[in-house]
Amino acid sequence: MSKIIEIQIDSKVVKAAEGSNLLQVARDNGFDIPGLCYHKKLTPTGACRLCVVKIDNTPGLIMSCTVPVKEGMKITAFDEELEQNRRHTLSYLLAEHNEEFDDSYEDEIRPLIKRYNLEKPENRPLKPIWQGIPRVVDNTSPVLTYDSSKCIRCFRCIKACDEIQGKGVLSFADRGISKYIVAGFGEWFNSECDGCGECIQLCPTGAIVEKPFRESLKISEIDSKVITTCPYCGVGCQTEIFVKNDTIVRVDGVDDVSPNDGRLCVKGRFGYQYANSKKRLTHPMIKRNGVFEKVSWDEALDFVSSKFSEIKQKYGSKSLAGYSSAKCSNEENYIFQKFIRIAFGNNNVDYCTRLCHASTVTAMLKSFGDGAGSNSIEDFETTDCLLVTGNNIIDTHPITATYVKRGKAAGQKIIVIDPKWTPLVKYADVWLQPKLATDVALLNGLINIIIENGWIDKNFIENRVEGGMQAFESLKELASKYTPEKTEEITGVSKEKLYEAAKIYATAKTAMIATGMGMSQQTVGTNNVFSLINMCLITGQIGKELCGLNPPRGQNNVQGATDVGASPVNYPGYIPVTNEDNRKKVAEIWKVPFESLDPKPGLTTIEIMNAAYDGEIKAMYIMGENPVVTDPDRHHTVEAIKKLDFLVVQDIFETETTEFADVILPAASLYEKDGTVVNSDRRVLRLRKAISAPGEARQDWQICVDIAERMGFKIGSYNSPEDIFAELAKAAPIFGGITFARIEKHGIQWPCYDENHPGTSTLFLEKFNTESGKAKIFPVDYKEQSETPNTNYPLVMNSGRLLYQYHSATMSRKSKVLNAYANEAYIIINPEDAVKLGLKDGDKVKVTSPRGSLETTAKVSDEVLKGETFMPWHFNEAPVNALTRNEIDPMSKIGPFKYSVVRVERV
Amino acid sequence: METNIKSILNNYPEGSADSLIPMLQDIQEHDGFLSKEAVIEVGKYLKMPASKIFGVATFYNQFRFTPLGKNHIQVCRGTACHVLGSATVLEEIEKNIGVKSGQTSRDGIFSLEVVACIGACGLAPVIAINGNFHAKVTGESIKEILENYRNQE
Repeated sequence: MSKIIEIQIDSKVVKAAEGSNLLQVARDNGFDIPGLCYHKKLTPTGACRLCVVKIDNTPGLIMSCTVPVKEGMKITAFDEELEQNRRHTLSYLLAEHNEEFDDSYEDEIRPLIKRYNLEKPENRPLKPIWQGIPRVVDNTSPVLTYDSSKCIRCFRCIKACDEIQGKGVLSFADRGISKYIVAGFGEWFNSECDGCGECIQLCPTGAIVEKPFRESLKISEIDSKVITTCPYCGVGCQTEIFVKNDTIVRVDGVDDVSPNDGRLCVKGRFGYQYANSKKRLTHPMIKRNGVFEKVSWDEALDFVSSKFSEIKQKYGSKSLAGYSSAKCSNEENYIFQKFIRIAFGNNNVDYCTRLCHASTVTAMLKSFGDGAGSNSIEDFETTDCLLVTGNNIIDTHPITATYVKRGKAAGQKIIVIDPKWTPLVKYADVWLQPKLATDVALLNGLINIIIENGWIDKNFIENRVEGGMQAFESLKELASKYTPEKTEEITGVSKEKLYEAAKIYATAKTAMIATGMGMSQQTVGTNNVFSLINMCLITGQIGKELCGLNPPRGQNNVQGATDVGASPVNYPGYIPVTNEDNRKKVAEIWKVPFESLDPKPGLTTIEIMNAAYDGEIKAMYIMGENPVVTDPDRHHTVEAIKKLDFLVVQDIFETETTEFADVILPAASLYEKDGTVVNSDRRVLRLRKAISAPGEARQDWQICVDIAERMGFKIGSYNSPEDIFAELAKAAPIFGGITFARIEKHGIQWPCYDENHPGTSTLFLEKFNTESGKAKIFPVDYKEQSETPNTNYPLVMNSGRLLYQYHSATMSRKSKVLNAYANEAYIIINPEDAVKLGLKDGDKVKVTSPRGSLETTAKVSDEVLKGETFMPWHFNEAPVNALTRNEIDPMSKIGPFKYSVVRVERV
Repeated sequence: METNIKSILNNYPEGSADSLIPMLQDIQEHDGFLSKEAVIEVGKYLKMPASKIFGVATFYNQFRFTPLGKNHIQVCRGTACHVLGSATVLEEIEKNIGVKSGQTSRDGIFSLEVVACIGACGLAPVIAINGNFHAKVTGESIKEILENYRNQE
């Protein structure tokens, strides 16, 4: 902490941290010194010269934004000379500035014009010359318009892009008075700009303005501004929603709040169109004679409940199952799992986490006793070394990535392990590009190098690992097989690179790992993560600040849904269903007879589909999921769903899955509900209703409660999500101390056991959450895939996500802006394979696997290795899961989305 | 074209931001202008965003972003030429070929560049076309000179 010192501003004594910014200190203490180029999130620029002050014993007028405060400084902030000078400076700026104002942005210059009495032209010492300066207007971007005539050359946009987002896309072009802002080679749309809009949010004069709603939006006539959590990925950015006529017209980032401190990505800022889409579901519908008919809620709820009861009676309680949703709130997931366990009378509740980080969580639970990320998102900036494996963090967790890029700028070492090029490679110190599905070998190879070079943390192993050095010896023996030569042979990564990566990670003072879908979505997903954990444990890069293992979550509430019990094996708060004491405790809170709670774990996502295929599951209740697109082996999934006697889908849109439903129930979107979610760093964050749900769409939790009641089960009477959360906090000790009041402004990271507990920013500092309090090493061997390329299917297909689309794209593809950036499927093929297959970039191709085939466009690029291909899976017209297989990882039941053998042919 | 840019970049094995301007000069020397592709290629090589390079290149008068015409006209605007009426000459050329300095005429026959001094003050006002000097040019004589080049087509 810096020393607190005293300075005087206009004779008032003010305390401040030594070295802090003088302008900020003055403003924080009520001295409203003008200034346009300064922004507290940016390094000072000193371009606009409005913030001049006098400092005793320093000659001249000094720009206060460039001065660090020192003990005893005496400042004059306001006197006639300073105000005259500011007025003159402002009129200089105005001479070159086009003052047209359309009220579609927050203007910082207009209040100053008023303040310095420069509204009337005759009051201005200088005549306007801006009409004579060449005007550059760049309207190419889907998200913004730049107009040089309104630009005061303050550097804020350039620095927003460089310093806040770490992208560095913008610069000045030309010189002198005709200087203007440029992206790329003079065209915003064809530049590296990814449309995050940070520059719009920081522009003080409307030179860069948002395009959507530009024509109609009047900021002064906004009906309301509501702060809520972004509905997209698992970073959990805090957003401010501007609402006019019950329509979202703008989204800004909220400053000074974790995890995003005002930053947003293109999805968070511009992906909101889906909420007000005309395609939203507005009425319950029942399928009769193959056609969906609008019905009343009463009719729909009666029908659903009687069918569920009928099937339960006829085939027994094991014949029913539900998919919960990572796109719903904690309260809704809590109610949904309670519904399944009480009304269905089994534990057949799961959701897409099974297709996502199930393997990561399985391994982490076994080794650490907790499956959640151990660090805070901010730590991605300050750790000395970051190892990112199988995680395209810039595209999938853009705001977490801003911390990484800022860390890099400050000297952080970055190791990327990925078979496919990702944008993070540009920032990496070393990039290991192993062949697909050779991760265990790669990590064992790294472990071997670490051990051989003595980079282990013996002290940590002895004190924090179960079995101490003995456990280590068993790992050492296994790893000894993976010599650098052998590892190079299996993975294709050179010995030199392996050594470099091992050295950087193991010898860094602090090191964190981010692991993603590339590691988890394999039939050896759990083993992959075990290997990663082993490396983490022998180097002691966990259990202290800025060290640990983090699985960034893909959806807004993946973390929360599992936390609150949307799991076939755990009650809320990771309490196993199999334990009798747990069941008793939960039964008491739920006020149900404990015998009525099923002691057997339920089926997982893919197991539920398989059971449906086998005719064991007869009815399904799906809340906010689209398994036809998201589950592996689409053909099999569709067949399974067709075999169901009864399918209820509750969603905000018609999807590829609702097509097969018997009843569709319209639900509220995340912008339309109150409640909470949990982000990737275990932070419990508020959702607040910004707009009303369309038509008769209802809150998911209310629908569940109503169906249960009509089935004869009372699963609780709640007036609001706050009531539900209060019950949840009782059921799940990790939420014990959290209330809506406590998280009104800032989220709290679980575990938070009681009302005085501040929450936990880093896990495992003192002990691990296992029974012994120590972490466990699970040595694992590399296994070859059961499916390998052959003459019929000579290539391997990897799959993944894009920045601009989101999962099955039900939400994101309703956005014109996001579609303008990326709306087409493709398959990336290595140039050597392309030559062999006689393919050019842009050729239409047919991709076939043993499960099915699809048509798409070839993209020839060395982003993938020879023999490998990559497809984004968002696009239903090229459904990647028609090609994937439903073989599962035996431990976590996750599907191998990242590895399918395929053949590619020209159409 | 692309391989040529690579071979130019290879002359800067320790490529850093310091070598940006010499690199751009080499490329312009070779291609006659800075193409978008070249700027992106340089950006990749130096790990710099295209806009930063575009910004540097537009700061200096010497860089151009359109290909040179078949005949490249350099008009001297040095002191001696100025005193003897180079402004009129420039104005006449701009009118005649229909472009401003830094641009290339639509038919591709001429491109125009204004230079500070080409060191031939004794010949003022002087212009150079494809490196050949034309001395003591006037608003009248320039028409004939340009016409001669046009007729060579």
